[in-house]
Amino acid sequence: MNNSLFGFEINVWLDALARLGLIVGVMTVVAMGLIYGERKILARFQQRVGPQKTGPFGLLQSVADAVKLVGKEDLRPNAADPWTFELAPYFVFIPIFLGFVSLPFLLDVNIRLLELGLLYFIAVSSVNIVGWVMAGWGSDNRYAMIGGMRAAAQAISYELPLVLSLVTVAMLAGSLNLKDIVEGQANVPYVALLPLAFVVFFISTLAEMNRPPFDIPIGESEVVGGPFVEYSGIRWSMFMLGEYASLWILSVLTAAVFLGGYSWPFGEDFGKGYQLVLMAAKSGIFIFLVFWVRASIPRLRIDQLMSYSWKILLPLSLVQVLVVGFVQVYELPDAFLTVAGVGGLLALVSITGRAVASSRRLPGAARTMRSEAV
Amino acid sequence: MVASPQHEFETQDLLINVGPQHPSTHGVFRMVLTIDGEVVKDVVPYIGYLHRGAEKLCETMDFRQGSGFMDRTEYLAAHNAELSYVMAVEALAGLEVPERAQWIRMILCELNRLSSHFMFLGAFGIDVGVFGTPFIYAWREREAIIDLFEEISGDRMMYAYFRPGGLAWDVPLNFKERVREVLKSTRQGIKDFDELLTQNEIFRARTEGVGTISAEDAIDWGMSGPSIRASGVPLDVRREEPYLKYADVDWDVITGENGDVFDRYYCRLLEMRESVKIIEQCLERLESGIIVPDKMPRMLRAAPGEVYIRTEAPRGEYGIYMVSKGGNRPYRLKVRSACLSNLQALRQMSVDQYVADAILVLGSIDIVLSEVDR
Amino acid sequence: MRGIAKSLMVTLSTFARKPVTRDYPNYHRELPERDRAFPLLLWDKEVDEPFCTGCHACERACPVECMTVLMKDNPNHKSTGGNSSRRKIIDKFWIDYARCMRCNVCVEVCNFDAIAMNNTWQGHELSVHDRKDLVMDLQQLLSLSHGGGIKEWVPVVGQANEQ
Repeated sequence: MNNSLFGFEINVWLDALARLGLIVGVMTVVAMGLIYGERKILARFQQRVGPQKTGPFGLLQSVADAVKLVGKEDLRPNAADPWTFELAPYFVFIPIFLGFVSLPFLLDVNIRLLELGLLYFIAVSSVNIVGWVMAGWGSDNRYAMIGGMRAAAQAISYELPLVLSLVTVAMLAGSLNLKDIVEGQANVPYVALLPLAFVVFFISTLAEMNRPPFDIPIGESEVVGGPFVEYSGIRWSMFMLGEYASLWILSVLTAAVFLGGYSWPFGEDFGKGYQLVLMAAKSGIFIFLVFWVRASIPRLRIDQLMSYSWKILLPLSLVQVLVVGFVQVYELPDAFLTVAGVGGLLALVSITGRAVASSRRLPGAARTMRSEAV
Repeated sequence: MVASPQHEFETQDLLINVGPQHPSTHGVFRMVLTIDGEVVKDVVPYIGYLHRGAEKLCETMDFRQGSGFMDRTEYLAAHNAELSYVMAVEALAGLEVPERAQWIRMILCELNRLSSHFMFLGAFGIDVGVFGTPFIYAWREREAIIDLFEEISGDRMMYAYFRPGGLAWDVPLNFKERVREVLKSTRQGIKDFDELLTQNEIFRARTEGVGTISAEDAIDWGMSGPSIRASGVPLDVRREEPYLKYADVDWDVITGENGDVFDRYYCRLLEMRESVKIIEQCLERLESGIIVPDKMPRMLRAAPGEVYIRTEAPRGEYGIYMVSKGGNRPYRLKVRSACLSNLQALRQMSVDQYVADAILVLGSIDIVLSEVDR
Repeated sequence: MRGIAKSLMVTLSTFARKPVTRDYPNYHRELPERDRAFPLLLWDKEVDEPFCTGCHACERACPVECMTVLMKDNPNHKSTGGNSSRRKIIDKFWIDYARCMRCNVCVEVCNFDAIAMNNTWQGHELSVHDRKDLVMDLQQLLSLSHGGGIKEWVPVVGQANEQ
């Protein structure tokens, strides 16, 4: 059998290998670029400059880091379980690289469009939590084990709101094929119809990626790196790679699923260059938001994080699914969805505000703090 | 580890070593947590990693050299440490400090309180989980204050500026303008912190109700400073036994109600505003004059006797107990360390809380290990 | 959510401000006049010899005992045909910068204003590969002042500003 890659007809096995190589190459470069971008952007949030010495504007900083990490001694704790310890990094980043397969970048530019693309994506990217738990257990370190357990609890808790918000999108598009989802947004992006699902999805992806404010498994000031505390050199860099690669593919997924991908506005009329700009801008917004949240917000404790997911996000996303189903069965106009979504969003905001804050009066001029004057 | 399980479903408590090298222990401090799942059952602190025999060394230093040494017992609030020492020497030698020196001492002590509290805010922000942003803001504000100190005494952290009788040398001629400049940027910095952390719902959820200690227990443990004022006890040495000119300026003692981590944080923030008020009043009342008494002997000798002088360091009541047998060096110098007394209450405040909260409690007591260990 | 939105606004406003980073070592900020690095000895240009007479006052006053001082008869003294009024002059002087705690006491006790704290960047940039290289001898201590590269600040202890 032959397949066509960039217009050339080649053997299907060679084609598969070439696509896999493309995944690895692109992911590595993008992850390194994102590490650099994060350092620069976080630095500007803190009124300083990021890397600036290695290469022009510090662009080669990630390369320098990679070279350093590759040259490090590969330590393994004596009592570490050899199989789990050594296989854990692979279980973390390989599923993420596999998730890359079904993403629609531009019109007809993707690795392989799958009929069940969305389902495949969610299923595969959830496997990486196995790697976290393996790292936590295999490291023979109490901090690592605590971090691994926390990571498992968190990932399982936030899978459900994530999947349910994607279910609403699939219901609206009528298909799990990511290409259909993108092209179904040619007129209106789904974020306008499902604002609540978008916010729930955003929060759940932050938790799935173990990014602040949900980064307690790798809480740097407590368990100092969590499950990865015993890893060094190349193995650790695989975790880092996995984290930033997952950031990128989730941002591309968000752009495709909620923000209209390459097709809104007028994507299909203007050709590949314009579509590239659209996709880059949309995933860039998501990535900037993630960095911005990292620089500003403290981290939630594990019990607060889990109660937030089970008690607040999950019921709201279930309600969202019901509403979408209702609208579709009774063929109500789409504006109904928007109104319901905005109402749900307001409910989320107010419940969040009330749930995490106590009944103590907010500080102000005449206040709870007793002041004794002279 | 605790006794081995007799029944296969019994759980064991885990011993976690938050070791001397740890990003969140604010110095070389070790505590061993016994945890059951995520709940802390016991805390055993280990101190002494920074013990340098400071009290014994001071017996070999005459009163002129001692100032430079007392800086190092509390390096974040060095002016306050020097102040207690020189006040003790002045009491023993019967020196009277001129007005101008007193006002300048007060300004510098309050500026040092500001810089120390900024350091607390920065480190606390890291403990709570905001990556780096509060810490960088804190250092930006401290930079302005420390640059001013460098222009006055020559050093950024170990000043050796207060001498028995007054000051080592006079301040530069542009002192008042410089202090007003520093206060302007400090006000903005306090506002930044207030907006970044205080009303943040996640921050409030992390810190409210955590690490509570009642007023009676705090008094029993001998706590002092903002840690006890947050529990509702209006104890401030500047109000109880006014030294310098604190009785002549108008300022409030900030107390809280609940004695939890949030109150300790917020007490310190409000205290910073009070410090700014105090400094402004001092600047207005500062006039030209002498800075040491006339006829100061070249080599100061103290009369035989003993004295205990206490001042309000940023962390609590910093006391110097000095015994002199005549001569130009103390016979015995004992430092009553605020941080050590505050640290005793750590266990009571941390049990039955989560691990993450134990870290927060340690951060909120605001210890600096050089004072704990001397 | 208002508090979280406020935090986000604070960091966003910081994004717009100019970074406070100074690009050391390409840029050295100006040190204040009173900056206190490590001690060095001063050169008397009129008589072309060090101010220091080796009187041991600083050596005795140092809290950490980081100095070693040796004096000798001054060959440049008026009695032997020179132009200096110093009977004794410094022969050998070592300061161990690794022990010095920069407390300024040596500067204050010196009767001849012969020792001062280095207030230039050279005083701060002292990295060496071997700790023995931090013990400075007389030549090294005199070199900066002899070359005229320092405008030292010697305080008069206890003197108030005339305002």
